[in-house]
Amino acid sequence: MDPKWAADNLQTIRTLMERSAVYRRALAPVMIFIGVIGLAGSVAGWRGGFESPRAFVFYWFAIAAGVLIGSFLLIRLQALRDNEPFWSPPTRRMAQAITPPLIAGFVSGLVVVLANRLAPDPANWPVGQMSAAQQTHLLPIVWGILYGCALYSAGFFMPRGMKVFGFAIVLISLLALAPGPQNPATASIPAGHALMGFIFGICHLAYGAYLYLTEKGKNAA
Amino acid sequence: MKPELFLQLDRVIHEKGRLAIMSMLAASPELSFTELRNVLSMTDGNVTTHIRALQQEGYVAVAKSYQNRRPLTTCSLTPAGRKAFAEYVNLLEQIIQESRNK
Repeated sequence: MDPKWAADNLQTIRTLMERSAVYRRALAPVMIFIGVIGLAGSVAGWRGGFESPRAFVFYWFAIAAGVLIGSFLLIRLQALRDNEPFWSPPTRRMAQAITPPLIAGFVSGLVVVLANRLAPDPANWPVGQMSAAQQTHLLPIVWGILYGCALYSAGFFMPRGMKVFGFAIVLISLLALAPGPQNPATASIPAGHALMGFIFGICHLAYGAYLYLTEKGKNAA
Repeated sequence: MKPELFLQLDRVIHEKGRLAIMSMLAASPELSFTELRNVLSMTDGNVTTHIRALQQEGYVAVAKSYQNRRPLTTCSLTPAGRKAFAEYVNLLEQIIQESRNK
């Protein structure tokens, strides 16, 4: 008997075991949903006068909560349609991967709110030393980096494209530092909303469209 | 190459479809019938036949329940199935090792 057959069999086993652990829900609708809400939220935030750091943080927290609920429902619907358990092992692993960076993003927003609320003397708080424009300009970059890290971590349990997308979000967020949001002369509040719209709106729409065109057949988690 | 190594391979697991099912179940605490069928691109009949064979051998446990008023069949490896699968993989590794040592 050809021993190559044994190596091929082992490779097949390995591939199947990896595939079994991979999260396979169709992500195109989720990405497009996040993109649409992110873009609409950006435009509404720009026009809506959410211009203090506190208003900015709570406004985007509310949008994030809506996006989380909407995404949950979309994934739940897929599970119901496919007659499969929602809280499957791949779903659990994926949730565990994205949770720490998302919590860090939530806490960073709270820190900005608390720093502005609790420190009448800005000199006592590093974040308070920045203007409202600087804070609202920098926060989307921090959120973008953490969110990108969350997607990159989740990418270990998802199809390969997710890791690339997470890494791209981190790079785009880092590139957004280039115009100098830390500089009071260049930082602006509308730029904060625009950054949110680009990272969480346009980027997701683009990735969602790519997934829509490339995802084939039925997906299961 | 020792031919006895090949002879020691578990015939039940060795079949392509059953090996695929065992591999997937080895990487997950449990999987639904639908998941197995979709990922392996098998027909309902094929999956049922293979699962039954593995069940008869005591390698796979099948649980039937209801989720949202719809029947849900989930499969998992039994301790005997996990042991048999590990032995099968070890044998394959030995075969490869033997061929390298030649």
